Amino acid sequence: MQEYDQRRTDARDAGQRLVARHVREDPFAAAFKATRMPMIVTDPTQADNPIIFCNAAFEKLTGYSSVEVVGRNCRFLQGGDTNPETVARIRSAIDAGSDIAVDILNYRKNGQSFWNALFLSPVRDDNDKIVYFFASQLDFTNVKSREAELAAARHQAEEAVAEATRNLRAALATRTLLVHEVDHRVKNNLLTMASIVKMQARLTKDEGQRSALMSVLNRIEAISTVQRKLFTTDDVARFDIADFARELATDLVGAIKRDDIHLTLDLTPVYVPAVKASPLSLIVNELVGDAVRRGLSDGGGEIHILVKRLNGHFLIRVEDTSEPVEPDETSAELGRMLLEASARQVEARIERTQAGRRTIVDVTLLVESEKDVPY
Amino acid sequence: MKVMIVEDEMLLAMELESEVEAAGHSVVGVAASSGQAADIVRDAPPEFAFVDINLQDGPTGINVGRMLAEKRIPYVFVSGNIKKLPDDFAGAIGAIEKPYTINGMANALAYISALVQGDDSMPPPASLVLAQDAPRPVRN
Ligand SMILES: Cc1cc2nc3c(=O)[nH]c(=O)nc-3n(C[C@H](O)[C@H](O)[C@H](O)COP(=O)(O)O)c2cc1C
Repeated sequence: MQEYDQRRTDARDAGQRLVARHVREDPFAAAFKATRMPMIVTDPTQADNPIIFCNAAFEKLTGYSSVEVVGRNCRFLQGGDTNPETVARIRSAIDAGSDIAVDILNYRKNGQSFWNALFLSPVRDDNDKIVYFFASQLDFTNVKSREAELAAARHQAEEAVAEATRNLRAALATRTLLVHEVDHRVKNNLLTMASIVKMQARLTKDEGQRSALMSVLNRIEAISTVQRKLFTTDDVARFDIADFARELATDLVGAIKRDDIHLTLDLTPVYVPAVKASPLSLIVNELVGDAVRRGLSDGGGEIHILVKRLNGHFLIRVEDTSEPVEPDETSAELGRMLLEASARQVEARIERTQAGRRTIVDVTLLVESEKDVPY
Repeated sequence: MKVMIVEDEMLLAMELESEVEAAGHSVVGVAASSGQAADIVRDAPPEFAFVDINLQDGPTGINVGRMLAEKRIPYVFVSGNIKKLPDDFAGAIGAIEKPYTINGMANALAYISALVQGDDSMPPPASLVLAQDAPRPVRN
């Protein structure tokens, strides 16, 4: 006890010596005392580096009076939740005689904790010997809690976004599942419809009935192929009419097994929105079907299919060179109706020119150019 | 060529059977499940098979395919969603996507029967996606 009193006296004396060195009106001392920034000075030449001076702002911050703190090491501000690692960092900075700026949890006299932005720095004499330590303290509890609030808010926002993303993904997965299920059913149903028609066509003894059924089957199959191709491209919204034309024509010509019908193709991908897929495919189906029917006559024939874009429009041309045949009246009428309705549906223009054995049918149609960029 | 049809939609199976027979082949059996397929393979081994992926006992067509591949019986998948197939096509020659057309099936059948008889000179038809040409999903 006596020893402690002695130390306090020594510390106070040292403080007074420090202040006495500055004359009364010394702007440094005046500033030190008056500043709103809490500040202290310690004396490392004394045992345990005690505080020898503190200003009013420090008293106000900590709740301790100058008399209570002078002579004590500053660690009395620390408490239960103070991070020992931070304390260790301060200790090694002091031992090394270097500056340090740290954030440390401290406690006021009344036990209330506060976040202290501590800056401390050695003061050296002319011989480079450390004679004092100087420190400033700043209560940044509010900033810290605002930071915590901000972090919490950010965390919440991130959580909300993650949650929304999860929900969306789940919804999308469900929707995709549903689309796939519906797609599967539609495909199976189309094939079932086709199968029923095929069975009936096989059963009938009447050639007229049979050809009528086959003509229905032909259109069902065109629509079926559209359905299949719409979904094999991952993008349900677009449909490549050139790809459709290729498959239709090669399958048709392949199946009739006639060496004297020659098919040539000049196709570039042209993507059309899904709603136009069926009418356009029906158009291609009618034109190619017609050309092949003409080629079935004795002389065979040449069939050339061209699909290409040309500034804002696209062109489907089916050209054939074969002996013109007199088509069956009903089937020709159905073909014309389908062509006309489909063309009107997609606002396409159909032009037919015939010269001798050569028939050229041009279908031109406006396409939105941004929609037919290839993948 | 002796053909097995593995398909759980009986109407489609019946129709396919007629098309196969119309092309001059014989059908040794129609299976609606993987178990039935195994029975047919044991009792009346086919030279070729059409295999749907979804059968009465679930998406077991792939297993049927692997069994056929093990027994060196060539086959193709016939399915509404060939994207469901594994990368190696489970050893199948290829796949015909539903809904196929009468021409598409006839051309595929002609190509396959030539192939099964050792003639690989024919160009594959548009209706048959060959295993080696199948678009592979991009893995990253
Ligand atoms: C000038 C000076 C001011 C200091 N101010 C504080 C302070 O405001 N808060 C605090 O927790 N520690 C402060 N310290 C640190 C402690 O006094 C002590 O150095 C620290 O706890 C490490 O030593 P120890 O491990 O012996 O406790 C200060 C140190 C010096 C030299």
